[in-house]
Amino acid sequence: MDFSSNIASQLHAGTILPEGIVIITLMVVLVGDLIVGRNSARWLPYVAIAGLLLAVADLCLLWNAPDPDAFLGSFRGDNLSIVFRGIIALCTAVTIPMSIRYVQQSGTSLAEFIGIMLTATLGGMFLSGANELVTIFISLEMLSISSYLMTGYMKRDPRSNEAALKYLLIGASSSAIFLYGVSLLYGLSGGKTNLIEISAAIPQINGPQSLGLAVSLVFVIAGIAFKISAVPFHQWTPDVYEGSPTPVVAFLSVGSKTAGFALAIRLLVTAFEPLTTEWHIIFTALAILSMVLGNVVALAQTSMKRMLAYSSIAQAGFVIIGLIAGTDAGYSSMIFYLLIYLFMNLGAFTCVILFTLRTGTDQIAEYAGLYHKDPLLTLCLSICLLSLGGIPPLAGFFGKIYLFWAGWQAGIYGLVLLGLITSVVSIYYYIRVVKMMVVKEPHEMSDAVRDYPAIRWNLPGMRPLQVGIVISVIITSLAGILSNPLFTLATDSVTSTSILQPAVVTQELPATVTISSVIEQE
Amino acid sequence: MKILSFLLWLPVMGAVIIGFLPGKIASARLKQITTLFALGTFAVTIWLLTQFDLSNGGWQFSEYYSWIDAIGLSYSLAIDGVSLPLLILNSLLTIVAIYSIGENVERPRLYYSLILLINAGITGALAAQNLLLFVIFYELELIPFYLMIAIWGGEKRGYAATKFLLYTAVSGLLVLAAFLGIGFLNGGSSFDYDSLTSQGLPLITQLILLTVLLVGFGIKIPLVPLHTWLPDAYTEASPAVTILLGGILAKLGTYGLIRFGLQLFPEAWSLVAPGLAIIGTVSVLYGALSAIAQKDIKRMVAYSSIGHMGYILVAVAAGTELSILGAVAQMIGHGLILALLFHLVGIVERKVGTRDLDILNGLMNPIRGLPLTSGLLILAGMASAGIPGLVGFVAEFIIFQGSFSTFPIATLLCIIASGLTAVYFIILLNRTCFGKLDNKLAYYPRVLRSESIPAFALTIIILFLGIQPNWLLRWIEPTTNQLTVNSEQLSADSYPHSRTSQLSVGASDHSPVQELLSRK
Repeated sequence: MDFSSNIASQLHAGTILPEGIVIITLMVVLVGDLIVGRNSARWLPYVAIAGLLLAVADLCLLWNAPDPDAFLGSFRGDNLSIVFRGIIALCTAVTIPMSIRYVQQSGTSLAEFIGIMLTATLGGMFLSGANELVTIFISLEMLSISSYLMTGYMKRDPRSNEAALKYLLIGASSSAIFLYGVSLLYGLSGGKTNLIEISAAIPQINGPQSLGLAVSLVFVIAGIAFKISAVPFHQWTPDVYEGSPTPVVAFLSVGSKTAGFALAIRLLVTAFEPLTTEWHIIFTALAILSMVLGNVVALAQTSMKRMLAYSSIAQAGFVIIGLIAGTDAGYSSMIFYLLIYLFMNLGAFTCVILFTLRTGTDQIAEYAGLYHKDPLLTLCLSICLLSLGGIPPLAGFFGKIYLFWAGWQAGIYGLVLLGLITSVVSIYYYIRVVKMMVVKEPHEMSDAVRDYPAIRWNLPGMRPLQVGIVISVIITSLAGILSNPLFTLATDSVTSTSILQPAVVTQELPATVTISSVIEQE
Repeated sequence: MKILSFLLWLPVMGAVIIGFLPGKIASARLKQITTLFALGTFAVTIWLLTQFDLSNGGWQFSEYYSWIDAIGLSYSLAIDGVSLPLLILNSLLTIVAIYSIGENVERPRLYYSLILLINAGITGALAAQNLLLFVIFYELELIPFYLMIAIWGGEKRGYAATKFLLYTAVSGLLVLAAFLGIGFLNGGSSFDYDSLTSQGLPLITQLILLTVLLVGFGIKIPLVPLHTWLPDAYTEASPAVTILLGGILAKLGTYGLIRFGLQLFPEAWSLVAPGLAIIGTVSVLYGALSAIAQKDIKRMVAYSSIGHMGYILVAVAAGTELSILGAVAQMIGHGLILALLFHLVGIVERKVGTRDLDILNGLMNPIRGLPLTSGLLILAGMASAGIPGLVGFVAEFIIFQGSFSTFPIATLLCIIASGLTAVYFIILLNRTCFGKLDNKLAYYPRVLRSESIPAFALTIIILFLGIQPNWLLRWIEPTTNQLTVNSEQLSADSYPHSRTSQLSVGASDHSPVQELLSRK
């Protein structure tokens, strides 16, 4: 007894208590489904949401933990990881309410779906804090494999099967490439797996420049870029987004991407610190391609889900600006953007799901004249899309301003200008949907809207959907205007995380005032 | 809540109330509620007018709340002699626009809330003392105007609205980019207007930022190579929307030129000024000549607007005390006249059913025609052409007087163009008002009192300000005087926060401010 508690205290198992809560929730969901059967669908989703929110609450308690290292350094529960884990858990907590009706209507088991989604969440959460190569890879696979399962969840839909197969094949190969890169890292550091030890060992063993490290960097970036679907590793995105169940797409576009960014920050800033210039160049290229291609190709889409797929590629490009900036302001603007992206993107997807549930289609042309039939849905979808397009005073505008501002401070003018230009392009395709819904006259209505069913919120599974929409829209409208608390959270998480601090200091800052110094002055 | 915040949030409140009022409400009732809110904002602006301190050319009614420190965004509002008249114009034109809407407009709820939102956005942009805050309000206009054109416009409204949207979005982003640039180069901790200065920056950097800013605002004004959205948007939009677009939204561009171009970049300004004057002159001539060629009366008025905005550009480029005074006066005068013209053209279109110059004829006919409307149209045309005794003359005369010393050739060309203005208004009036009306075909609906009242009100203001221009100029003068007075004091001791020209000897021989000084 004494021994085990001793071990537990040495391992700091309390650091992963949030994940523990998610695991327990997962167990309850699976066992509950087995015992009670199909009827459990009435309460299981709420148990899952409650568990996730509990995990988020526990993450809040862990904020500023004195000693974040857990499990002998293989997991770091520092504030950075807490923010990312929180985003991922919240993402699932918002995704579940929107999936209840969708999954039930498709006639598949809800509990299994939630179980898989919780597993994916778990993988993402572990990935955000993983500080050791093996842990990183295992959590990455946990996230990926659950994602493959979810994309293929609509067994009877051939498109879903196709999406799952594509995702599986490309995902597996990208995992393999990533693993190969990581194994190089393991070898180059003389057999270390802990990221901090690796970053200490590599310059000693290999000197400042090493070809092997560069190769490893390229492979690792390929794996990360696949997760965040940055161009040119984006090919799977449109097909998978179009074919898979919409709640899954929502999760992939937010939760999975967030996990990818968490991995990117941790791995690149610690292990690849000697190659900072190199990975900056590679990510600059990724950002340029993602912003240009994502936004331009989105113009030509006719399917709402495909358009949102390309838009999410472009949004990833914007977020990379914060990563490349490499300053306190850069990282915190990135986190802030991910936080609000969570709500605006999930809000948009919830609206798309609602429309699909009522009409059975997701073609943009079918939205024509929706304003006349369903003003609430039109308003919510418009707000979310305009926020994604960065129209003030919605949250997306402030998120973009933060990113561009941080980028500008860090001296990457070209990227910021490109970001500004491409966001004009993005306004065009987001507005196109708004125009379809609002501007079209009653006689120009699409068939789907003409046969629009009466709005009934009392069907099973509709209430949570409604709550999800309303919460997302409220946060999307207000998070920008009242962004101080969120931004303070993002900034604190960056300034109090030790791995980012040396990286921030070693950056050659052109005489700028960083956020931290502003705060110190006050 | 302080007075400027109240002025800003009152219409927003109105928009929300109208948008979310439960139950079905008749269009007329909604119009009443909207008018009530618009009258409320108008009353507040009039109250501002009475409280305005004429001896103080600086900021008044200031408010400051810190908002998001991390990016230097603060909620700070204040007005001076340049923004106050524009605020009044804004609230006045909102009322006119509401009046010029037909009783049975489709989707009244959305329409009226959008109009109030536009009013609030323009108020915010005019009063914003923080550059980012300005951008927020400036971009806020985008969606309401887009929807207004796209839903209640003419036949080609989809095309016009999209074009407007793209041009204006680009404009907003260019302005944002320039602001980010100047904010960053000032240390990057604040975008507050008073803490920013371009002094000490390399001239080339200033030039780049200023050019970006000029293109951004140039789209909104619009200047000639960037103007192609305007004829489509003005022609396709309904009269109410056109009044707001041409009467006040375009003025945000010239306001931005004075406030952010001239005042933030005094050094670089003297370098770009000759170029601006040329572009302005080209706009004036192009607008006038294109207007002569038009067959559609609304399009004709739209092109005339391009020309008249060109005067403002020439005046702002000249940058003398008098010419800036003239520029602000022209913004107000042009806003009033354009609103009147579009309102009357809207009435003609609604009653007669066409805007084609070849079909319109003899509306002066006292029995079957629209004598009152035609009478007012003649007066509006005269005002626009700069006939003495009307506000258009006052503004143009001050502009010519003020800019002649700096840009004699440009000013002379502008004077010639103002003669061309008379040409196309004579064409317009001759075709529509005079001639013989076919009594057998002309059965036009009566012009309602609710339609003629705003026209009368605007006419009275135009006449009054033409006869007693001091009532317009006295509010503007202290501020525009200070613009140049500052530079005299500051050229002696370079006060760090000055934003007016620090005269660098030999940098530019023909700096307008220098010339002004040497004249004294």
